[in-house]
Amino acid sequence: MTLKTYTACSMMLLGISRHQSGFFNYNFALYLCTVFSTMTKLLEWLLGASLIGMAWGLVTFDLLDLQLPPQYRELAWPMPVYLLVVFGCYSLATVGYRVATFNDCEDAAKELQAQIKEAKEDLKKKGLKM
Amino acid sequence: SEIDVEATGADQAVGFGLVGFSLSLFTYYTIWVIVLPFVDSDHVIHSYFLPREYSVILPGVAALILLLFVGTFIGVVTWKNRKPKKVD
Repeated sequence: MTLKTYTACSMMLLGISRHQSGFFNYNFALYLCTVFSTMTKLLEWLLGASLIGMAWGLVTFDLLDLQLPPQYRELAWPMPVYLLVVFGCYSLATVGYRVATFNDCEDAAKELQAQIKEAKEDLKKKGLKM
Repeated sequence: SEIDVEATGADQAVGFGLVGFSLSLFTYYTIWVIVLPFVDSDHVIHSYFLPREYSVILPGVAALILLLFVGTFIGVVTWKNRKPKKVD
């Protein structure tokens, strides 16, 4: 969403709130305008994450009495842990694959080992104990 | 000049081992969390999986143990390098 889109949304909100009476509506719309037009990537992610989190909470704790079939409720409540585990598996698999397909570089390996030795001796001199 | 050779046997074994392990874990966990709720409760497949609560408890315990190891390691290294008056 571009700045223009955000501003357009906010203007719409402002128009809506002005037609209704109410001090709070107008000021709330004004606040939303400011938030939307200055939204950073962090705010976008937080907004998206909290929307998804609210949807999950609604389904898991049945806050709206939606009368969902029991299988879908059983499916929903472990979702945060499931997504974390899947992310962990994906990271592990990516690291493993890159380790397996990384080509050896003989010269670079020797140079790196010499540098490690040098660093260890230097740190020992300065008193670090591993 | 740098010579690029294919990764050595040990690297490949470890790497592909990790890939295989994460694929199996992913498959087992996905069946447990996503497939089982839609399978009849008297189907034989349920005997291969623990009760549903453990699908949340076990990863939680594993995460705690991991944090414990990391914290212990940091603690031990910091302790070994403490100076009497001030920490450098």
